Amino acid sequence: MSAVLFLLAFVSILTIVALGGMFSEKSGTVALSLEGCMTFGAFTAGMVMYALPSTVPAGISALIVILVAIVSAGLYSLLLAVACVTFKANQTLVGTALNILATALAVVLIKQITKTEALPVGNSRLSFMRFYEIFNVNFFGMQGVRFNWLILIALVLVPIIYVIIYKTRFGLRLSSCGENPSSADSLGINVNKTRYIGIIISGALAGFGGLFLITMNSEWEFANGATGFGYLALAVLIFGQWKPLYILLGALIFSGFKTLSVFYSSINFLEKLGISSYFYLALPYVVCLIVLIFTSKKNVGPKALGEPYDKGKR
Amino acid sequence: MNKVKSFFSSLIKKDSTKTVVTSLWCAMLGLILGFFILLIINPSNAAYGMTSVLGNYLIFSNPSDRLNYFGQTLAKTAPLIAMSLSILVSYKAGLFNLGASGQYSIAVLVICLLGAGANWPWYIVMVIAMIAAAIWSALTGLLKAFFNVNEVISGIMLNWIALYLVNGILSNAGESIWDGAHSESVAITSASNSFIPSIGLDKLFAGNSIVGLGMILILIVVIIIFILLKKTTVGYELKATGLNSDAARYAGISKVKSIVIATAVSGALAGLAASLSLQNGFTSWRLSSVPPEIGFQGISSAFLGGLHPIGIIFSSYFIMHITEGGSMITDLGFSPETASIMTSVIIYLSGFVFFIKEVMRKYEIKNELNMLSRNKENKV
Repeated sequence: MSAVLFLLAFVSILTIVALGGMFSEKSGTVALSLEGCMTFGAFTAGMVMYALPSTVPAGISALIVILVAIVSAGLYSLLLAVACVTFKANQTLVGTALNILATALAVVLIKQITKTEALPVGNSRLSFMRFYEIFNVNFFGMQGVRFNWLILIALVLVPIIYVIIYKTRFGLRLSSCGENPSSADSLGINVNKTRYIGIIISGALAGFGGLFLITMNSEWEFANGATGFGYLALAVLIFGQWKPLYILLGALIFSGFKTLSVFYSSINFLEKLGISSYFYLALPYVVCLIVLIFTSKKNVGPKALGEPYDKGKR
Repeated sequence: MNKVKSFFSSLIKKDSTKTVVTSLWCAMLGLILGFFILLIINPSNAAYGMTSVLGNYLIFSNPSDRLNYFGQTLAKTAPLIAMSLSILVSYKAGLFNLGASGQYSIAVLVICLLGAGANWPWYIVMVIAMIAAAIWSALTGLLKAFFNVNEVISGIMLNWIALYLVNGILSNAGESIWDGAHSESVAITSASNSFIPSIGLDKLFAGNSIVGLGMILILIVVIIIFILLKKTTVGYELKATGLNSDAARYAGISKVKSIVIATAVSGALAGLAASLSLQNGFTSWRLSSVPPEIGFQGISSAFLGGLHPIGIIFSSYFIMHITEGGSMITDLGFSPETASIMTSVIIYLSGFVFFIKEVMRKYEIKNELNMLSRNKENKV
């Protein structure tokens, strides 16, 4: 996979998942379970991919797999919604539990069903799932550019979600539940219901991102879950200040450094510097931390983020 | 008779009793769910699998094997207790220490360099490891206090930075520290100066040398943390900041000081966890692509223990007991991660503790009101 493709795939996944997390956080629930939802969606979709007979046409299979990822991760995030919205549980705690649970479930069941440690996702029979293979188009006269339609989806999602959040009734209500749930409630908005919807959308998009993440490799070992992508998306969400365009920008910066950590050895002058590869691996996180230092001072996050809504306190 | 009755009813009404009862419920439900998963995976072996998870060392018929594995479970509980205390202290100050894995990693680096590498005395290695982890953790606190950086996110970022830092330094550290063939750090053996001495405790556990002074140390630390949180001004200030930082500031408590102290102490405890698990030789640092899991395990036992230092001793033991038991069921066709499913279900359920307690309280009030009205009727 070339560096550009890697970068674009990375940006797309991070953007999609972080945008998902935005729905949850805008409505007032911490989206720590993004990692778990990604893992769970990727796991169920991967299993379906593994089990689908080769007679099913490629297009239909792809559709089924995507649907499975979205629906299963959406359902999985319901666990978060029930605990945190209805039962007012600690959001960080439940999010962490869901992250561990998704990984453990995936590992145990994959070992049981496929008898292997890693789930094969990219072997020849399933090549249709290698998304960057699908559109082998002549893109503006550039011969044989392999276009990953994931990138397209991410690019389309940004304006769509921008409109949903800022211009539709639903989006504004969603934000109001995260900013001031009491006054939202007093205006007749069902806070808990809105938060449920936010969490489910966030889970669904995370599952979608998770599916794309595992198709980047030929097989995926679930022992490490989504290898921290969910946490990265959360970081991108925060330093994107909960705004769709900034999230895209944040994902771009982060992915740039991440791509550098994979491809630095092919850049001549960086190779000559002779710095340890671990430095480049850590670089994206260091940059993220530094950006956070400069952007966190004025608190721009949803004001009621992390607080369960208690009607009695109104 | 009445005295006994009133003693019991006051015991039941106590908040701590409710916590214990709900925690036990969570543990039970988690185990039952785990059993169902075993049933789905392999029905014929499920019952035996569950027995091994619950029994752990008890499934051995040979008494010395039992003692040996019992000792091992106890020794592995010690670092988990330290980790849970680390989560607890920062939680009391209103912070969620998701960066415990990173603090643990930094301590591991110190232990490998000074312990396996330089063979320094164990207590010096332990103290330096704790200080290093405390400084690393205080970074989160400083970022929070001065730049308002969300501690959960900075903790996660620092986990990854620590991971790559430790991987990078250790994997180039030379033969006495790094075992390149197995890509893991060289374990500290009982012959080393840096090994936490057994002080004869190993003889109680069929010569299992990983049992030792560490177990006594951790109990002392539990008591220290208990006193710190309950009886000292610093502890009071931490808790006040955690409950309502604005009110605390109004009362003249420095938020910056509380946050930095809380993160530093919890970092030191995470460092202690590393020391207790590496300096008796049963763990080493493996080259991994994700931060160590123990930081997240600490969250589960801290919450299952009802966020109380004493409760944490029992919950940590319980979690380590089923984790160790889980590692024994691989030959039955189950993955050791089955235990991890159970623990995560337990953590998930412990999120409901607040709600369950609330329901219990409401039920009690209703009962009391009923009793009062009945008494009135009787009098009439």
